[in-house]
Amino acid sequence: MKDWTGILRLEAEVRNGKTVAKNVYFQGAFKVMRPVYHDDSGQACYYILNPGGGYLDGDRYQMKISLEEQARLTLTTQSATKIYKTPNQYAYHETEITLKRGSYLEYITDPLIGYQDARYKQKTVIRMEKGATLLYSDIITSGWSPDGAQFSYDMLQLINEIYVDDELMVFDHIKLNPAAKDMNSLGFMEGYSHLGSMIVVGEQADNDLLDRLYHAIHEDTKEYKIGLSLLPASGIIIRILADSTQTIEKIHTACHHIINREFFNTTPSFLRKY
Amino acid sequence: MDKNALSLFQLCDSNFPTGAFSHSYGLESYIQEDHVHDQKTLSEWLHVYVNEQLVHSDGLASRLVFDALQDGDLETVWKLDRMLTVQNLPRETREGTQKMGDRMLNLVGSLYEVPVLSLYRERINKKQCFGHPAIVFTMIGHHLGVSRSTTILYYLYSVTSSIVQNAVRAIPLGQTAGQRTIQQFQDVLMEATEKIESLDEEDFGIISPGLELSQMKHERVNIRIFMS
Repeated sequence: MKDWTGILRLEAEVRNGKTVAKNVYFQGAFKVMRPVYHDDSGQACYYILNPGGGYLDGDRYQMKISLEEQARLTLTTQSATKIYKTPNQYAYHETEITLKRGSYLEYITDPLIGYQDARYKQKTVIRMEKGATLLYSDIITSGWSPDGAQFSYDMLQLINEIYVDDELMVFDHIKLNPAAKDMNSLGFMEGYSHLGSMIVVGEQADNDLLDRLYHAIHEDTKEYKIGLSLLPASGIIIRILADSTQTIEKIHTACHHIINREFFNTTPSFLRKY
Repeated sequence: MDKNALSLFQLCDSNFPTGAFSHSYGLESYIQEDHVHDQKTLSEWLHVYVNEQLVHSDGLASRLVFDALQDGDLETVWKLDRMLTVQNLPRETREGTQKMGDRMLNLVGSLYEVPVLSLYRERINKKQCFGHPAIVFTMIGHHLGVSRSTTILYYLYSVTSSIVQNAVRAIPLGQTAGQRTIQQFQDVLMEATEKIESLDEEDFGIISPGLELSQMKHERVNIRIFMS
Protein backbone atom coordinates (compact mmCIF):
# COMPACT_ATOMS: atom_id res chain seq x y z
CA MET A 1 0.00 0.00 0.00
CA LYS A 2 2.03 2.94 -1.25
CA ASP A 3 1.68 5.59 -3.90
CA TRP A 4 -0.85 7.82 -2.23
CA THR A 5 -2.41 10.51 -4.40
CA GLY A 6 -2.69 12.69 -1.36
CA ILE A 7 -1.51 12.44 2.24
CA LEU A 8 -2.50 14.57 5.18
CA ARG A 9 -1.21 14.34 8.75
CA LEU A 10 -2.40 16.63 11.47
CA GLU A 11 -1.60 16.38 15.16
CA ALA A 12 -3.17 18.98 17.39
CA GLU A 13 -2.53 19.88 21.01
CA VAL A 14 -3.42 22.63 23.44
CA ARG A 15 -0.95 25.42 24.12
CA ASN A 16 -1.97 28.27 26.41
CA GLY A 17 -5.62 27.38 26.10
CA LYS A 18 -5.51 27.34 22.33
CA THR A 19 -5.56 24.30 20.06
CA VAL A 20 -2.58 24.43 17.74
CA ALA A 21 -0.92 22.05 15.33
CA LYS A 22 1.91 20.06 16.85
CA ASN A 23 2.62 18.61 13.47
CA VAL A 24 1.09 19.25 10.05
CA TYR A 25 2.20 17.51 6.92
CA PHE A 26 0.57 17.18 3.55
CA GLN A 27 1.65 15.95 0.21
CA GLY A 28 0.15 15.54 -3.24
CA ALA A 29 -3.48 16.34 -3.81
CA PHE A 30 -4.31 17.17 -0.19
CA LYS A 31 -3.81 20.47 1.56
CA VAL A 32 -4.94 22.23 4.70
CA MET A 33 -5.21 25.96 5.12
CA ARG A 34 -3.90 27.77 8.18
CA PRO A 35 -6.25 27.21 11.08
CA VAL A 36 -9.09 29.64 11.64
CA TYR A 37 -10.19 30.59 15.15
CA HIS A 38 -13.85 31.49 14.84
CA ASP A 39 -14.23 32.60 18.45
CA ASP A 40 -12.21 32.92 21.64
CA SER A 41 -12.82 29.33 22.77
CA GLY A 42 -9.41 28.23 21.45
CA GLN A 43 -11.05 25.69 19.13
CA ALA A 44 -9.18 25.51 15.85
CA CYS A 45 -10.87 25.02 12.49
CA TYR A 46 -9.02 23.41 9.62
CA TYR A 47 -10.30 23.37 6.07
CA ILE A 48 -9.17 20.45 3.91
CA LEU A 49 -8.56 21.28 0.27
CA ASN A 50 -8.39 18.96 -2.65
CA PRO A 51 -6.39 20.98 -5.19
CA GLY A 52 -7.14 18.40 -7.88
CA GLY A 53 -10.79 19.33 -7.65
CA GLY A 54 -11.99 15.77 -7.39
CA TYR A 55 -11.09 12.10 -7.08
CA LEU A 56 -10.06 10.33 -10.26
CA ASP A 57 -9.69 6.74 -11.38
CA GLY A 58 -7.57 4.79 -8.89
CA ASP A 59 -6.84 7.79 -6.65
CA ARG A 60 -5.85 6.91 -3.11
CA TYR A 61 -6.00 9.35 -0.24
CA GLN A 62 -4.83 8.92 3.32
CA MET A 63 -5.50 11.14 6.30
CA LYS A 64 -4.24 10.75 9.87
CA ILE A 65 -5.59 13.12 12.46
CA SER A 66 -4.86 13.06 16.16
CA LEU A 67 -5.95 15.22 19.04
CA GLU A 68 -4.07 15.37 22.31
CA GLU A 69 -5.89 15.73 25.62
CA GLN A 70 -8.28 18.68 25.74
CA ALA A 71 -7.61 19.70 22.13
CA ARG A 72 -10.67 21.02 20.28
CA LEU A 73 -10.79 20.93 16.54
CA THR A 74 -13.22 21.41 13.69
CA LEU A 75 -12.22 19.61 10.55
CA THR A 76 -14.14 20.24 7.40
CA THR A 77 -13.82 20.10 3.65
CA GLN A 78 -13.67 23.27 1.61
CA SER A 79 -16.31 22.12 -0.84
CA ALA A 80 -18.15 19.02 -2.01
CA THR A 81 -16.09 15.90 -2.70
CA LYS A 82 -16.50 14.94 -6.33
CA ILE A 83 -15.77 11.45 -7.54
CA TYR A 84 -15.27 11.30 -11.28
CA LYS A 85 -15.73 8.17 -13.37
CA THR A 86 -13.40 5.32 -12.43
CA PRO A 87 -13.17 2.97 -15.40
CA ASN A 88 -10.33 0.85 -13.96
CA GLN A 89 -10.00 1.18 -10.23
CA TYR A 90 -12.27 2.72 -7.61
CA ALA A 91 -11.11 5.84 -5.79
CA TYR A 92 -10.19 5.24 -2.17
CA HIS A 93 -9.95 7.43 0.90
CA GLU A 94 -8.86 6.14 4.29
CA THR A 95 -8.81 8.13 7.49
CA GLU A 96 -7.44 7.33 10.91
CA ILE A 97 -8.45 9.52 13.80
CA THR A 98 -7.12 9.31 17.34
CA LEU A 99 -8.82 11.25 20.13
CA LYS A 100 -7.27 11.50 23.57
CA ARG A 101 -9.28 11.99 26.73
CA GLY A 102 -11.03 15.35 26.97
CA SER A 103 -10.52 16.20 23.30
CA TYR A 104 -13.32 17.16 20.94
CA LEU A 105 -13.39 16.67 17.20
CA GLU A 106 -16.08 17.99 14.88
CA TYR A 107 -15.55 16.27 11.56
CA ILE A 108 -18.07 17.76 9.18
CA THR A 109 -17.72 16.84 5.55
CA ASP A 110 -19.40 18.46 2.59
CA PRO A 111 -21.60 16.35 0.34
CA LEU A 112 -20.21 13.50 -1.68
CA ILE A 113 -21.04 13.71 -5.39
CA GLY A 114 -20.53 10.60 -7.46
CA TYR A 115 -20.31 11.31 -11.18
CA GLN A 116 -21.53 8.91 -13.82
CA ASP A 117 -19.76 5.51 -13.58
CA ALA A 118 -17.88 6.49 -10.42
CA ARG A 119 -16.83 3.98 -7.78
CA TYR A 120 -15.58 5.13 -4.40
CA LYS A 121 -14.65 3.53 -1.12
CA GLN A 122 -14.08 5.42 2.10
CA LYS A 123 -12.89 3.87 5.33
CA THR A 124 -12.71 5.89 8.51
CA VAL A 125 -11.34 4.40 11.70
CA ILE A 126 -11.74 6.45 14.85
CA ARG A 127 -10.00 5.48 18.07
CA MET A 128 -11.14 7.44 21.06
CA GLU A 129 -10.32 7.31 24.71
CA LYS A 130 -13.22 7.41 27.12
CA GLY A 131 -13.92 11.06 27.86
CA ALA A 132 -13.22 12.20 24.31
CA THR A 133 -16.08 13.51 22.18
CA LEU A 134 -16.75 13.09 18.49
CA LEU A 135 -19.26 14.68 16.17
CA TYR A 136 -19.19 13.32 12.63
CA SER A 137 -21.44 14.06 9.69
CA ASP A 138 -21.65 13.21 6.02
CA ILE A 139 -24.08 13.64 3.14
CA ILE A 140 -24.33 11.40 0.09
CA THR A 141 -26.05 12.95 -2.92
CA SER A 142 -27.63 11.22 -5.90
CA GLY A 143 -24.61 12.32 -7.94
CA TRP A 144 -24.15 14.01 -11.23
CA SER A 145 -24.55 12.97 -14.85
CA PRO A 146 -24.65 14.98 -18.10
CA ASP A 147 -28.30 14.12 -18.73
CA GLY A 148 -29.35 14.91 -15.16
CA ALA A 149 -30.20 11.31 -14.28
CA GLN A 150 -29.97 10.48 -10.57
CA PHE A 151 -27.81 7.68 -9.19
CA SER A 152 -25.69 7.33 -12.33
CA TYR A 153 -22.60 6.49 -10.27
CA ASP A 154 -21.78 2.79 -9.91
CA MET A 155 -20.98 2.50 -6.24
CA LEU A 156 -20.31 4.60 -3.15
CA GLN A 157 -19.15 2.81 -0.03
CA LEU A 158 -18.56 4.38 3.37
CA ILE A 159 -17.30 2.42 6.35
CA ASN A 160 -17.00 3.94 9.81
CA GLU A 161 -15.44 2.06 12.69
CA ILE A 162 -15.41 3.70 16.09
CA TYR A 163 -13.39 2.23 18.92
CA VAL A 164 -13.72 3.46 22.49
CA ASP A 165 -10.80 2.42 24.69
CA ASP A 166 -9.82 -0.13 22.02
CA GLU A 167 -13.22 -1.83 21.89
CA LEU A 168 -15.18 -1.63 18.64
CA MET A 169 -18.40 0.16 19.61
CA VAL A 170 -19.86 1.39 16.31
CA PHE A 171 -19.65 -0.21 12.88
CA ASP A 172 -21.47 1.66 10.15
CA HIS A 173 -21.36 0.33 6.62
CA ILE A 174 -23.17 2.06 3.78
CA LYS A 175 -22.78 0.73 0.27
CA LEU A 176 -25.01 2.27 -2.35
CA ASN A 177 -24.77 0.30 -5.53
CA PRO A 178 -27.06 1.76 -8.20
CA ALA A 179 -25.19 -0.24 -10.84
CA ALA A 180 -26.88 -3.33 -9.37
CA LYS A 181 -29.94 -2.08 -7.46
CA ASP A 182 -32.85 0.24 -7.99
CA MET A 183 -32.18 2.99 -5.46
CA ASN A 184 -35.77 4.22 -5.46
CA SER A 185 -37.27 0.94 -4.34
CA LEU A 186 -38.52 0.01 -0.91
CA GLY A 187 -35.79 -0.38 1.67
CA PHE A 188 -33.19 1.64 -0.24
CA MET A 189 -33.53 5.40 -0.79
CA GLU A 190 -37.31 5.07 -1.09
CA GLY A 191 -37.76 7.93 -3.53
CA TYR A 192 -35.34 10.32 -1.81
CA SER A 193 -32.09 11.46 -3.41
CA HIS A 194 -29.87 12.36 -0.44
CA LEU A 195 -28.74 10.40 2.60
CA GLY A 196 -27.35 12.20 5.63
CA SER A 197 -25.68 10.66 8.66
CA MET A 198 -24.59 12.23 11.89
CA ILE A 199 -22.82 10.29 14.62
CA VAL A 200 -22.12 11.65 18.07
CA VAL A 201 -20.06 9.72 20.59
CA GLY A 202 -19.38 11.10 24.02
CA GLU A 203 -20.18 10.43 27.65
CA GLN A 204 -22.97 13.01 27.67
CA ALA A 205 -24.84 11.51 24.74
CA ASP A 206 -27.83 9.91 26.45
CA ASN A 207 -31.54 9.32 26.11
CA ASP A 208 -32.42 12.86 27.24
CA LEU A 209 -30.30 14.33 24.49
CA LEU A 210 -31.86 11.91 22.00
CA ASP A 211 -35.33 13.12 22.99
CA ARG A 212 -34.31 16.75 22.73
CA LEU A 213 -32.84 16.21 19.27
CA TYR A 214 -35.91 14.33 18.15
CA HIS A 215 -38.29 17.05 19.26
CA ALA A 216 -36.15 19.74 17.64
CA ILE A 217 -35.97 18.12 14.21
CA HIS A 218 -39.05 15.94 13.96
CA GLU A 219 -41.74 17.34 11.70
CA ASP A 220 -44.75 15.80 10.10
CA THR A 221 -43.48 16.32 6.58
CA LYS A 222 -42.85 14.50 3.33
CA GLU A 223 -39.81 16.67 2.69
CA TYR A 224 -37.56 14.34 4.66
CA LYS A 225 -37.53 11.25 6.83
CA ILE A 226 -35.43 10.93 9.95
CA GLY A 227 -34.37 8.10 12.21
CA LEU A 228 -32.53 8.59 15.49
CA SER A 229 -31.22 6.02 17.89
CA LEU A 230 -28.85 5.37 20.76
CA LEU A 231 -25.63 3.61 19.80
CA PRO A 232 -24.08 0.68 21.68
CA ALA A 233 -21.45 3.11 23.01
CA SER A 234 -22.75 6.23 24.65
CA GLY A 235 -23.64 7.93 21.46
CA ILE A 236 -26.35 8.82 19.00
CA ILE A 237 -26.92 8.25 15.30
CA ILE A 238 -29.15 10.42 13.14
CA ARG A 239 -30.05 9.30 9.63
CA ILE A 240 -31.88 11.51 7.19
CA LEU A 241 -33.39 10.77 3.81
CA ALA A 242 -34.16 13.98 1.91
CA ASP A 243 -34.18 15.59 -1.50
CA SER A 244 -31.49 18.20 -1.07
CA THR A 245 -28.19 18.90 0.61
CA GLN A 246 -29.69 22.04 2.14
CA THR A 247 -32.46 20.13 3.93
CA ILE A 248 -29.95 17.77 5.51
CA GLU A 249 -27.52 20.56 6.38
CA LYS A 250 -30.29 22.47 8.11
CA ILE A 251 -31.11 19.46 10.30
CA HIS A 252 -27.44 18.69 10.95
CA THR A 253 -26.85 22.30 11.97
CA ALA A 254 -29.83 22.27 14.33
CA CYS A 255 -28.50 19.09 15.99
CA HIS A 256 -24.98 20.45 16.10
CA HIS A 257 -26.19 23.55 17.96
CA ILE A 258 -28.10 21.53 20.54
CA ILE A 259 -25.18 19.15 21.08
CA ASN A 260 -22.59 21.90 21.54
CA ARG A 261 -24.85 23.77 23.92
CA GLU A 262 -25.54 20.64 25.98
CA PHE A 263 -21.98 19.37 26.05
CA PHE A 264 -19.86 22.52 26.22
CA ASN A 265 -22.24 25.46 26.48
CA THR A 266 -20.87 26.80 23.20
CA THR A 267 -22.38 27.70 19.84
CA PRO A 268 -20.89 26.19 16.69
CA SER A 269 -19.41 28.66 14.24
CA PHE A 270 -20.75 29.15 10.78
CA LEU A 271 -18.27 27.55 8.39
CA ARG A 272 -17.82 30.11 5.62
CA LYS A 273 -16.71 28.39 2.46
CA TYR A 274 -17.75 30.23 -0.62
CA MET B 1 -34.14 -35.52 6.47
CA ASP B 2 -31.64 -37.10 8.80
CA LYS B 3 -31.93 -37.04 12.58
CA ASN B 4 -29.45 -34.20 13.05
CA ALA B 5 -31.20 -31.90 10.62
CA LEU B 6 -34.45 -32.74 12.40
CA SER B 7 -32.88 -31.74 15.71
CA LEU B 8 -31.80 -28.42 14.27
CA PHE B 9 -35.25 -27.98 12.79
CA GLN B 10 -36.66 -27.87 16.30
CA LEU B 11 -35.06 -24.43 16.67
CA CYS B 12 -36.92 -23.19 13.56
CA ASP B 13 -40.34 -23.89 15.02
CA SER B 14 -42.20 -20.63 15.46
CA ASN B 15 -43.28 -21.99 18.86
CA PHE B 16 -39.66 -22.24 19.96
CA PRO B 17 -39.77 -19.61 22.68
CA THR B 18 -37.09 -17.06 21.86
CA GLY B 19 -39.40 -14.05 21.84
CA ALA B 20 -39.32 -13.66 18.04
CA PHE B 21 -43.07 -13.12 18.09
CA SER B 22 -42.58 -9.67 19.57
CA HIS B 23 -40.19 -8.25 16.96
CA SER B 24 -40.96 -6.90 13.51
CA TYR B 25 -37.51 -5.39 12.65
CA GLY B 26 -39.08 -2.20 11.39
CA LEU B 27 -41.84 -3.94 9.41
CA GLU B 28 -44.44 -2.42 11.74
CA SER B 29 -43.39 1.09 10.61
CA TYR B 30 -44.04 0.08 7.01
CA ILE B 31 -47.41 -1.43 7.92
CA GLN B 32 -48.46 1.72 9.78
CA GLU B 33 -47.45 3.90 6.82
CA ASP B 34 -49.43 1.53 4.60
CA HIS B 35 -46.42 0.61 2.46
CA VAL B 36 -46.94 -3.02 3.44
CA HIS B 37 -50.62 -3.98 3.34
CA ASP B 38 -51.03 -7.29 1.50
CA GLN B 39 -49.21 -10.46 0.53
CA LYS B 40 -47.46 -8.84 -2.44
CA THR B 41 -46.09 -5.87 -0.51
CA LEU B 42 -45.10 -8.14 2.38
CA SER B 43 -43.08 -10.29 -0.04
CA GLU B 44 -41.41 -7.19 -1.42
CA TRP B 45 -40.41 -6.04 2.05
CA LEU B 46 -39.25 -9.51 3.06
CA HIS B 47 -37.18 -9.73 -0.09
CA VAL B 48 -35.23 -6.61 0.79
CA TYR B 49 -34.96 -7.57 4.45
CA VAL B 50 -33.49 -10.99 3.63
CA ASN B 51 -31.32 -10.07 0.64
CA GLU B 52 -30.00 -6.75 1.84
CA GLN B 53 -29.98 -6.82 5.61
CA LEU B 54 -29.99 -10.42 6.84
CA VAL B 55 -27.54 -11.72 4.24
CA HIS B 56 -24.89 -9.13 5.12
CA SER B 57 -25.29 -9.43 8.87
CA ASP B 58 -26.65 -12.63 10.44
CA GLY B 59 -26.14 -14.72 7.29
CA LEU B 60 -22.52 -13.84 6.65
CA ALA B 61 -21.78 -14.03 10.38
CA SER B 62 -23.29 -17.50 10.53
CA ARG B 63 -20.98 -18.68 7.75
CA LEU B 64 -17.91 -17.16 9.40
CA VAL B 65 -18.85 -18.51 12.84
CA PHE B 66 -19.36 -21.98 11.40
CA ASP B 67 -15.87 -21.92 9.87
CA ALA B 68 -14.34 -20.55 13.05
CA LEU B 69 -15.95 -23.32 15.10
CA GLN B 70 -14.60 -25.83 12.61
CA ASP B 71 -11.12 -24.38 13.16
CA GLY B 72 -11.57 -24.16 16.92
CA ASP B 73 -10.98 -20.42 16.57
CA LEU B 74 -13.21 -19.02 19.31
CA GLU B 75 -11.66 -15.56 19.21
CA THR B 76 -13.28 -15.07 15.80
CA VAL B 77 -16.63 -16.24 17.16
CA TRP B 78 -16.49 -13.66 19.97
CA LYS B 79 -15.38 -10.99 17.52
CA LEU B 80 -18.40 -11.70 15.31
CA ASP B 81 -20.68 -11.51 18.34
CA ARG B 82 -19.42 -7.95 18.81
CA MET B 83 -19.53 -7.08 15.11
CA LEU B 84 -23.16 -8.25 14.83
CA THR B 85 -24.13 -6.13 17.81
CA VAL B 86 -22.26 -2.94 17.01
CA GLN B 87 -23.32 -2.88 13.35
CA ASN B 88 -26.97 -2.96 14.46
CA LEU B 89 -27.40 0.77 15.00
CA PRO B 90 -31.16 0.98 15.72
CA ARG B 91 -31.35 0.43 19.49
CA GLU B 92 -34.64 -1.49 19.53
CA THR B 93 -33.60 -4.11 17.01
CA ARG B 94 -30.16 -4.40 18.61
CA GLU B 95 -31.49 -4.89 22.13
CA GLY B 96 -34.34 -7.09 20.93
CA THR B 97 -31.94 -9.36 19.05
CA GLN B 98 -29.64 -9.50 22.05
CA LYS B 99 -32.53 -10.58 24.28
CA MET B 100 -33.53 -13.27 21.79
CA GLY B 101 -29.96 -14.52 21.67
CA ASP B 102 -29.97 -14.70 25.43
CA ARG B 103 -33.25 -16.65 25.63
CA MET B 104 -32.26 -18.99 22.83
CA LEU B 105 -28.96 -19.71 24.54
CA ASN B 106 -30.68 -20.49 27.84
CA LEU B 107 -33.07 -22.83 26.12
CA VAL B 108 -30.61 -24.76 23.99
CA GLY B 109 -28.26 -24.78 26.96
CA SER B 110 -30.79 -26.96 28.76
CA LEU B 111 -31.29 -29.17 25.69
CA TYR B 112 -27.65 -29.71 24.72
CA GLU B 113 -24.44 -30.16 26.64
CA VAL B 114 -21.98 -28.32 24.45
CA PRO B 115 -18.88 -26.67 25.95
CA VAL B 116 -18.98 -23.71 23.54
CA LEU B 117 -22.55 -22.89 24.63
CA SER B 118 -21.48 -22.72 28.28
CA LEU B 119 -18.50 -20.58 27.31
CA TYR B 120 -20.76 -18.22 25.42
CA ARG B 121 -23.10 -18.02 28.41
CA GLU B 122 -20.19 -17.31 30.72
CA ARG B 123 -18.88 -14.54 28.50
CA ILE B 124 -22.31 -12.92 28.23
CA ASN B 125 -22.68 -13.02 32.02
CA LYS B 126 -19.30 -11.36 32.35
CA LYS B 127 -20.31 -8.77 29.71
CA GLN B 128 -17.53 -9.94 27.43
CA CYS B 129 -20.11 -10.92 24.81
CA PHE B 130 -23.52 -9.59 23.85
CA GLY B 131 -25.43 -12.69 22.67
CA HIS B 132 -26.94 -13.21 19.24
CA PRO B 133 -29.41 -15.84 17.94
CA ALA B 134 -27.47 -16.37 14.67
CA ILE B 135 -24.43 -17.39 16.69
CA VAL B 136 -26.34 -19.70 19.04
CA PHE B 137 -28.10 -21.29 16.07
CA THR B 138 -24.82 -21.82 14.22
CA MET B 139 -23.23 -23.35 17.31
CA ILE B 140 -26.01 -25.94 17.46
CA GLY B 141 -25.90 -26.61 13.70
CA HIS B 142 -22.18 -27.16 13.94
CA HIS B 143 -22.51 -29.33 17.05
CA LEU B 144 -25.13 -31.52 15.37
CA GLY B 145 -22.89 -32.04 12.34
CA VAL B 146 -25.33 -30.35 10.00
CA SER B 147 -23.62 -28.81 6.97
CA ARG B 148 -22.78 -25.13 6.89
CA SER B 149 -25.18 -24.26 4.09
CA THR B 150 -28.08 -26.15 5.69
CA THR B 151 -27.42 -24.40 8.99
CA ILE B 152 -27.51 -21.00 7.26
CA LEU B 153 -30.62 -21.93 5.27
CA TYR B 154 -32.50 -23.13 8.36
CA TYR B 155 -31.53 -20.00 10.22
CA LEU B 156 -32.87 -17.78 7.43
CA TYR B 157 -36.02 -19.89 7.38
CA SER B 158 -36.54 -19.53 11.12
CA VAL B 159 -36.24 -15.74 10.92
CA THR B 160 -38.51 -15.31 7.91
CA SER B 161 -41.19 -17.71 9.12
CA SER B 162 -41.55 -15.84 12.40
CA ILE B 163 -41.68 -12.48 10.62
CA VAL B 164 -44.43 -13.81 8.34
CA GLN B 165 -46.36 -15.08 11.38
CA ASN B 166 -46.05 -11.63 12.90
CA ALA B 167 -47.12 -9.95 9.65
CA VAL B 168 -50.20 -12.17 9.46
CA ARG B 169 -51.27 -10.77 12.84
CA ALA B 170 -50.26 -7.18 12.16
CA ILE B 171 -51.42 -6.45 8.60
CA PRO B 172 -53.63 -8.60 9.05
CA LEU B 173 -53.40 -11.35 6.45
CA GLY B 174 -55.17 -14.68 6.21
CA GLN B 175 -53.25 -17.73 7.45
CA THR B 176 -53.31 -19.13 3.91
CA ALA B 177 -51.72 -15.97 2.48
CA GLY B 178 -49.07 -16.26 5.18
CA GLN B 179 -48.27 -19.85 4.29
CA ARG B 180 -48.24 -18.99 0.60
CA THR B 181 -45.67 -16.27 1.31
CA ILE B 182 -43.46 -18.75 3.13
CA GLN B 183 -43.85 -21.28 0.34
CA GLN B 184 -42.98 -18.75 -2.36
CA PHE B 185 -40.01 -17.70 -0.32
CA GLN B 186 -38.27 -21.06 -0.39
CA ASP B 187 -36.36 -20.30 -3.59
CA VAL B 188 -35.45 -16.86 -2.30
CA LEU B 189 -33.94 -18.42 0.84
CA MET B 190 -31.99 -20.98 -1.22
CA GLU B 191 -30.59 -18.16 -3.36
CA ALA B 192 -29.82 -16.04 -0.31
CA THR B 193 -27.86 -18.96 1.15
CA GLU B 194 -25.85 -19.25 -2.06
CA LYS B 195 -25.23 -15.53 -1.98
CA ILE B 196 -23.96 -15.77 1.59
CA GLU B 197 -21.59 -18.57 0.57
CA SER B 198 -20.03 -16.33 -2.06
CA LEU B 199 -19.98 -12.99 -0.19
CA ASP B 200 -16.75 -11.23 0.50
CA GLU B 201 -15.97 -10.80 4.20
CA GLU B 202 -15.65 -7.10 3.46
CA ASP B 203 -19.38 -6.98 2.71
CA PHE B 204 -20.20 -7.51 6.35
CA GLY B 205 -22.77 -5.18 7.87
CA ILE B 206 -23.95 -3.32 4.76
CA ILE B 207 -27.23 -1.63 5.59
CA SER B 208 -30.27 -0.71 3.56
CA PRO B 209 -30.91 2.96 4.37
CA GLY B 210 -34.72 2.75 4.20
CA LEU B 211 -34.96 -0.40 6.31
CA GLU B 212 -32.59 0.89 8.94
CA LEU B 213 -34.35 4.24 9.14
CA SER B 214 -37.71 2.53 9.64
CA GLN B 215 -36.21 0.43 12.44
CA MET B 216 -35.08 3.65 14.11
CA LYS B 217 -38.41 5.36 13.47
CA HIS B 218 -40.19 2.49 15.20
CA GLU B 219 -38.85 3.76 18.52
CA ARG B 220 -41.18 6.73 18.15
CA VAL B 221 -44.29 4.82 17.10
CA ASN B 222 -47.02 5.52 19.63
CA ILE B 223 -49.30 2.57 19.22
CA ARG B 224 -47.47 -0.64 18.62
CA ILE B 225 -47.82 -4.38 18.89
CA PHE B 226 -44.14 -5.18 18.46
CA MET B 227 -41.09 -4.24 20.49
CA SER B 228 -39.07 -3.43 17.38
